[in-house]
Amino acid sequence: MPARSDEDIARTRAFWVANRPSETAAPAYVPGAPVWWHAALALLVALVFQTSFAPFFAFRGATVSFVVIVVAWYGIRAGTLAGLVFGLIAGTCEDALGGSSGVAWTFATGLVGLTAGALARSWISDITAALVAGVAGLTLLRYAAFVVALQMQNRPLAMPETHLHAALWQAALNALVAFVALQFGTQIGGRLAHRR
Amino acid sequence: MVPIFTYRDERKLFAVIGAVIVAALIALVQLDAAKSGKPSILADAVTSAAFVVQSTVTAVAGAVHGMAAGIAAAPHLASQNAELREKNRALRTENARLREALALSPEATEIANAMSAIPGGIEASTIGYDPENVDRVITLDRGSRAGIAADDGVVNEDGVVGRIVSATPLESTVLLVTDGASKVPAVVQRGRWWGIATGTNGRIRLEYISQDAKLRVGDAVVTGAGRSFRAGLPLGTIARVDHPDGALYQSALLDPAASFGRISRVIVVPRN
Repeated sequence: MPARSDEDIARTRAFWVANRPSETAAPAYVPGAPVWWHAALALLVALVFQTSFAPFFAFRGATVSFVVIVVAWYGIRAGTLAGLVFGLIAGTCEDALGGSSGVAWTFATGLVGLTAGALARSWISDITAALVAGVAGLTLLRYAAFVVALQMQNRPLAMPETHLHAALWQAALNALVAFVALQFGTQIGGRLAHRR
Repeated sequence: MVPIFTYRDERKLFAVIGAVIVAALIALVQLDAAKSGKPSILADAVTSAAFVVQSTVTAVAGAVHGMAAGIAAAPHLASQNAELREKNRALRTENARLREALALSPEATEIANAMSAIPGGIEASTIGYDPENVDRVITLDRGSRAGIAADDGVVNEDGVVGRIVSATPLESTVLLVTDGASKVPAVVQRGRWWGIATGTNGRIRLEYISQDAKLRVGDAVVTGAGRSFRAGLPLGTIARVDHPDGALYQSALLDPAASFGRISRVIVVPRN
């Protein structure tokens, strides 16, 4: 497939602006979807970290879920459908590695990818505070979907209050990590762009 | 005006169709596996691939931990060396004496071996934990190829660890006795009072004990004969007794016999 010329890109951009009456100008920078192997590597690192070390970093019974953060990041950058597929793959890996949750993480994490994709390029993805709150919300949504999926498989949670408590703490921890990642990620990305 | 033509739309269409097919396939395979109650082909593939990575990470983490401990202890090495040399000399003397004693009573050695060894036990190492820390489960580096099957009991040198909940060819998953979903028939050793040991996501609670039972803090609790364990394996000791007025049963909180802080090696006891 031939590479597109700068002229093609400029024309497409002009066309896009002309057909968006509510917007006065095209955004200066619209991030595209991450390269697939970047996303796969991020997911692999998140899974290895969580299966090897997560219990040792537990805080009040909760651990940071890097899988949620990676799926949210990919969903927001890649859109609804790609987010759903990535979430389903990530959830399948978690179910396989956990071994006792059936298919609950598959559907809960797929839902996170789908929802994150729905937020892509909305006002939420432009504001750091909204993104951080979004990650916390996605964590709670995932937990709720996980509990529902477990119930549907006739595997109810043994201690729901304890798990709810842990889910709230996990939402807070994930939001904190997302905030730090956004701060450092933006700085590193800015420096790399400046070098180029 | 030059018409706009890009390849983006065509590529996007193919990507959308592909993504829908992949999503549907994953969902169908997982649902089918959930209905049959067995690990799906995707789960088998993921655990087989993860086995290598997890084993490597565990080995590297262990080596780094050992190295860090060695570096941290360096300043005290000289004094420790002298102390250890002295201990070594004393232990050599004691070892010679014990060897002589054992040689004199071979029957005692055989009984001790029979008591400690578990017939048909399969030794395994921990290579992973629950990714979300929701369930108290650990992953072992041996699976159905080594003869491990669901509901096999798992113990270590201190006592009961848990039971196998799923086994793939290369790995198996253990539900720890401290998990809220774990239920093990148990007996208070002193008075032979029966109860059910349930996890509290950290410790163990012995429930449904008769109100007549005179429980004391420090009483040892062992397994009763059940689906996964033979009778008499240590579960823990009573740390607190809850004896509510008017209740049909009393309960007790146990300190687990096995240390769940870092379980490295365990023995799987096959049911057959």
